[in-house]
Amino acid sequence: MIRTRKLWITALLLWSLAPLLWQVYTSFCSNESLLHTLTDHQSRWTLENYRQVLTANPPFWRYLLNSALVGITSTGLTLLIAIPAAYSLVKVPRNVARGAKLFLLGAALFPYVLLFLALLELARNLNLGNNLLALSFPYTALSMPLAVLLLSSAFRDLPSELEEAARVEGLGLWQRLRWVLIPLIAPATASTAILVFLFSWNEYPIALTWISSADLLTLPVAIARIAGSSVYSIPYGAYAAATVLGALPLLLLVIIFQRQIVSGLTQGAIKG
Amino acid sequence: MIQLLLLPAALLIALVFGIPLIRYCWLSVHANSVVTGLVAIPNHGANWLRLFNDERFWQDSAQTARFAFVSVSLELLLALAIALLLDQRWRGRGVVRAITLLPWALPTTVMALGWRWIFNTPYGPIEQLAVLFRLPPLNILSNPDITWLATVVGDVWKTTPFVALILLAGLQTIPNDLYEAFYLEGGNPRAAFFKVTLPLLQPYLLLGLLFRLAQAFGVFDLIQVMTGGGPASSTESLALYAYLNAMRFLDFGYSATVMIGSFLLLVFICLFSWLVIYQTRHLRGVFK
Repeated sequence: MIRTRKLWITALLLWSLAPLLWQVYTSFCSNESLLHTLTDHQSRWTLENYRQVLTANPPFWRYLLNSALVGITSTGLTLLIAIPAAYSLVKVPRNVARGAKLFLLGAALFPYVLLFLALLELARNLNLGNNLLALSFPYTALSMPLAVLLLSSAFRDLPSELEEAARVEGLGLWQRLRWVLIPLIAPATASTAILVFLFSWNEYPIALTWISSADLLTLPVAIARIAGSSVYSIPYGAYAAATVLGALPLLLLVIIFQRQIVSGLTQGAIKG
Repeated sequence: MIQLLLLPAALLIALVFGIPLIRYCWLSVHANSVVTGLVAIPNHGANWLRLFNDERFWQDSAQTARFAFVSVSLELLLALAIALLLDQRWRGRGVVRAITLLPWALPTTVMALGWRWIFNTPYGPIEQLAVLFRLPPLNILSNPDITWLATVVGDVWKTTPFVALILLAGLQTIPNDLYEAFYLEGGNPRAAFFKVTLPLLQPYLLLGLLFRLAQAFGVFDLIQVMTGGGPASSTESLALYAYLNAMRFLDFGYSATVMIGSFLLLVFICLFSWLVIYQTRHLRGVFK
């Protein structure tokens, strides 16, 4: 029993990690040795790929910075708008809230890639193209349904006596939110923030169509551009180095916030 | 008064979800392309007529549906196994859970390019292994019959953790007493799985199915980067076709028509699979 479990765990780890480890391996291989990846080769190991990626123009960390910037502004904006909305969703009549939730669930399920063309037109008309901060506008809107759903289920779980007591003490709506309710839903807020950040960090079709200037590309688009450069002569060594560098921040994020991510997704599943 | 707090969120959602849908409906009954100088001219349903006779659209629909059904079924099965494993108590579970999540957290485009290297002919590891075992070259990414399977692998690898977490949440809502009672009545683990776990997990399986079906049907990032829709359009998805219509052929009117068409197909497929599940549930009740 224990032994078969160990076997399954090993299989699971292998399945999750093997493709990534292959990228790590490739990233340290010299270009000539990539022609014979599984057989012996002299002068296989090199840091050249990393040097190449980090000294390219623009250097690779630029994309990480861009993605981080978009991720942070989108996450901040989403929370700023979603928290009050989630709170008021608990206060409206029950049938209204149920209708709103169904609507939000539908929006959260919607394959948003189908929206890209109209959003591109919007960006052209409002002059939002090639502007990193402007990207957080569609990202905030696209994250809104899930964020409101997650946060309102957190507000609903708070005992209503708590807010009642605060009201009796003479605290206004803003004070109640600021000093009583928002601190209490901090775990749900953290989960929501991580999910929104991950979405903005990874989003591809909108970033692809809104941003064309090389300095402003976000990580997913920058990496896809390498793929688009040529079908037959992709610099796989350098590319693998880029993958590894691009995956590292997320690896740290997942390890640090594993608990929040799990509870965010599972809470959403139970109550959404 | 409090309802006013809903306003910014509602406005944002209406702006980003609502306006595009209205705009697409309007665009889909207009000719708006390079030919018309990017000016919209009403064309009395010509876009829709073209859509119905567009072999590429229907081929892409079939391919997208095939991709979605095969990957989502595999994901549900694998995710169920993973969730059952992660639901048990054992040392190091937290670390394994974090590692399992990693594929889901990475940008799709990053590993899409990674897969392209892994399936590369002749230098990728799969082909190199084939050489070691003296198999003929597989040409995974250039054989129109099997390339779509490679995209399925990429999708399953990335999104199974997400489904597994939803199912894990479901498993954790099942009280232990139920299993104890079941074993007291003389049930064995296999029966417990089919009589207790699966029925109580059903809502979560449905949620995962619906969520993933919608996402897989709109697959774009993975296909665009991994195969570009090729070889010979054999992996082209509906979203990619809509994208190509707008960005390569600069035919915005038709692109919008393709998008509404895809959306309607998706709604139809979701309703259809829901009905099938509902029906089989009835049938099972009849046979009991």
